[in-house]
Amino acid sequence: MNRRAGRLVFMLTLITSTFVFIVPFLFMVGNSFEEFSYVLPNPPRLLPSRVSFAAYSHVLSQSDLPRSALNSVIITSAATLFTALIASLSAYGFARIDFWGREPLFRVYLAALMIPGFLGIIPQFLVLQSMGASSSGLIGTKAGLVLLYVGAGVCGNTFFLRGYMQALPKELEEAVLIDGGGHMTTFLRVMLPLALPSIGTLAIFCLQGTWEEFFSAKVILGGVQKNITLPVMIQSLKGAHLTRWEWIFAASILAQIPMIILFGFFQKRFVVAGIAEGAVKG
Amino acid sequence: MVAMDARAAVKRARLSIRRKRLRGLAIAAPFVLPGFALACVFTLYPTLFNIRVSLSSYHIVQRSMTWVGLENFTELFTDRGGRISLAIRNNFLYAIVTTPFILLFGLVFAVMINSLKRFRVFFRTCFYLPVITSWVIVGNVFAYMFNPGGAGLVNYALVDILGIMEDYVPWLQRTWTANAVIWILGIWKNIGWSMIVYLAGLQGVPADLYEASGIEGAGRARQFISITAPMLKNTTFYVLVNMIIGSFGVFVQVLMLTGGNPRGTTSVLQYLLYDKSFNLFEFGQGAAIGVITAILVLITTIVMNRVFRTEGGRVE
Repeated sequence: MNRRAGRLVFMLTLITSTFVFIVPFLFMVGNSFEEFSYVLPNPPRLLPSRVSFAAYSHVLSQSDLPRSALNSVIITSAATLFTALIASLSAYGFARIDFWGREPLFRVYLAALMIPGFLGIIPQFLVLQSMGASSSGLIGTKAGLVLLYVGAGVCGNTFFLRGYMQALPKELEEAVLIDGGGHMTTFLRVMLPLALPSIGTLAIFCLQGTWEEFFSAKVILGGVQKNITLPVMIQSLKGAHLTRWEWIFAASILAQIPMIILFGFFQKRFVVAGIAEGAVKG
Repeated sequence: MVAMDARAAVKRARLSIRRKRLRGLAIAAPFVLPGFALACVFTLYPTLFNIRVSLSSYHIVQRSMTWVGLENFTELFTDRGGRISLAIRNNFLYAIVTTPFILLFGLVFAVMINSLKRFRVFFRTCFYLPVITSWVIVGNVFAYMFNPGGAGLVNYALVDILGIMEDYVPWLQRTWTANAVIWILGIWKNIGWSMIVYLAGLQGVPADLYEASGIEGAGRARQFISITAPMLKNTTFYVLVNMIIGSFGVFVQVLMLTGGNPRGTTSVLQYLLYDKSFNLFEFGQGAAIGVITAILVLITTIVMNRVFRTEGGRVE
């Protein structure tokens, strides 16, 4: 009997804290269904007075949201694809090929990890500005931002995947090497399939991080309206005079749906397992 | 004759070592070179070049750099508003205030969820939701919730429903309440991450330890203190380091909630860097803020390693 009461108290505590925890989301969803009025609803409501999809149909009918969503999709998938490709190639190089200067170079990568990413933004900006034909270079272009994301992540991602690849058994590869296959065959036929779970974890974190990244996107794309990503677009919705909160919330929810689906599907397989393998033990 | 042979042999050996090295490099190149080139252009070179920019006056239009020595640094520290000192103070306060709460709540929720038999995925998703939501979005929601009048959910709850306070508080217009909102947002957004890492750590605690201690009559609390907590030491260190280092990257909260106001008292280093560089186009001073931040991060990392290595024993 006592045990059952304890269980009940436990569940109530958990449910109450979860509810308090997600109030901001409930509030956002509730207010995205509000009708527009010139004053904010006072008192504030968690649930809308009536359900109206006006805000959703408005943000979807404007060109800003669909266009920046498309930009986000292009930038995020390109960055993730190139990140996964380049990181797994260099992780293989560092884990399995014994080349001259490998250890010192890897130590340079490790040292680079100590420096928070945003500190390089001014030189990165200047580097991108000097690339390409036009006077502003790659500033304001999707390609420039993708390059920046992939390049800024190389050291960390190589480190992350190298750990996994080193832990994999070598016997299979040796068989390929004896059969006369080179490192590229080994990489494609043996290493990639074996390392796929860890590459999946890397890809998910890269997808999520790129999708929500704001600082670099704002600095690199901020001036070119047609190329901005979703976070930059949503930030620009907050007007100087009158803020249409229901538009902001509707756009925010639409922007967030892909990530929620992604994590709903993969949380067990890649997220929890990936952290358990890599971060905690490594 | 013999000497000549020996010399020739040494020469040949050297050549073959060099050739071997080159061959090794040629084999590794297709794997390592693409990443290395990108790392050079976007990580390694920017880090060094940032130091150069911080010692220069950079003109964005002419794209010219003139050496000015430490002028950017002295200007930052003698600025009348004292914005840099306020920003440094706020970064450290953010780290000191938010990290303990993130660790504590992350651990508590992880242990609670871990003891569930059903609905784990549901609760895990709820707590992880803020982590996968963009800072811009949660920044907006918090700006609305901490609205100065009665339309703000927090004011309404505290004054009208619970009656704890007499008057509505203009949260984001006052230094300390605004800083508190920035902290609360930071805590709330990061609890889910800490919880997931702790959940992963809990999977590594062998179940037979609990069984054995259960047979010996140890209660839940006892088990937590003697088994769970020590086994999670490395996990805790990992979360701690990530959160403290991450505190030097606070940016979007400040941009969305206060813009550093009132008078720079809620500003942080990255916000100041952004403001100086891309609003005022003082690239030299912006880069100087970057160098200052890097030095602070370095010192903090060294101190943390010293403190927690000696106290916590083996921490990798």
